[in-house]
Amino acid sequence: MARSRRSRRTLTVIVLVVVSLSLISLDLNGRTHSLTSGIKSVANDIYSPLRQGVEDIINPIGNFFAGAFNYGAVQSENEQLQRQIGQLRATQAEKGFEQNQLRELTQLESLPFLNSLPTVTAQTQDQYSSNFTATITLDKGRADGVDVGYPVVGAGGLVGQVIQSFHHTSVVRLITDGQFKVGVVFGPGNKYAAIVDGQGPGSDLTADLVSPGTPLRRGQTMYTSGLQAAAFPPGIPVATVSSFHTPSGASQISITVEPSANLNQLAYVDVVQWVPNA
Amino acid sequence: MTARSIVRVALVIFVVLMVQQTMMVALRIGGVHPDLLWLLPITAALADGPETGGIVGFWSGLVFDLVLPTPFGLSALVGCLLGYAVGALTAAVDPRTTWLKPVAALTGSVAADMLFAVLGAILGQPQMVQIDFVALFLMVSISSVVFVLPVSRLMRWALAGENNRHSLVPAETGSRIW
Repeated sequence: MARSRRSRRTLTVIVLVVVSLSLISLDLNGRTHSLTSGIKSVANDIYSPLRQGVEDIINPIGNFFAGAFNYGAVQSENEQLQRQIGQLRATQAEKGFEQNQLRELTQLESLPFLNSLPTVTAQTQDQYSSNFTATITLDKGRADGVDVGYPVVGAGGLVGQVIQSFHHTSVVRLITDGQFKVGVVFGPGNKYAAIVDGQGPGSDLTADLVSPGTPLRRGQTMYTSGLQAAAFPPGIPVATVSSFHTPSGASQISITVEPSANLNQLAYVDVVQWVPNA
Repeated sequence: MTARSIVRVALVIFVVLMVQQTMMVALRIGGVHPDLLWLLPITAALADGPETGGIVGFWSGLVFDLVLPTPFGLSALVGCLLGYAVGALTAAVDPRTTWLKPVAALTGSVAADMLFAVLGAILGQPQMVQIDFVALFLMVSISSVVFVLPVSRLMRWALAGENNRHSLVPAETGSRIW
């Protein structure tokens, strides 16, 4: 009896393991990925409003307690923000003229930048839902014109790329994710190229394939290269150089870069409706 | 297997999913947040043995897979293996032992996260091993020990059928009583 029970237990688990492995292979196979993607899409359409409803209930309670416990800090932060708003308004007024000039110059030079590309502004619903990936979830999906592969930009530069698009939501892989790679150009005349690699959540990015002797300086900005069949349009700021050194005998400079975009402020982002040229 | 148990387990999975995706993800320290998913198969296995642990692990993992950006089916696979392993390894331990739940939660969660990352990397997601494992293990260990008791209580409620101590697995002579 005990043996038959053990056999049945083992059989049940083996069946479930086989089902799991089948689902994984369906998901990873390019031809059948649309099946699992479709299931996820339907599930997300049901799940998102439910989650939003729960958040709407939880957030005010959380905010109440946070506000009660941190009243002094909140008041001080509020005053500081008011001061900053005043300063920014003054700066904006001064820079208005310069910005107009820059816009005109950009148009004159036909510089490929976001001004000429259609974008969809989206709100971030969820950040880092898994400990193993650097992703955010947006409140816009296929129905709103957001599709897989579209670049996502935020304040300062490139934020990431859409990797999953459901009916009304989408998932963006951030540039810090270990699987993220983007071709960049930098330096005088943007004549030097590199690959910026994400190193996982919380870690700095690296810039690879830069040969020794290439002129570099800290704070130098790297832009998307936009080479043929590149996944991103050219000219989007990606990262700035934070440190670099050339190990003896190495065939490339070891460069650490920081994202140009502020990845701590991702409440709203722009999805660029851009498809790479074939 | 009673319909009531299935509905209750589904409800517990939904509640834990919501708590995880709304509150736990906001508790990010050092780039990582608590992960309650693994507590479902662990507590199910402690409550009703390896088969129930495996079944609950599979279904809870599958539900989480629907909303996570990781490969579809990976959480289900790890959850199933985790539930079965915890049930099998603790079969000889008196379930009333006070240290059992915290120790099973701590070791089970850490082992599950490690397996999840390694399998993910093998399946073509190398970024899953490019994370700060020390921070992850610390966070997951502490949070699992803290949250195992409430999740265990929910799971015991879910698996207690109308005839009491019914489980997802048909009762039979000599089946484990918890």
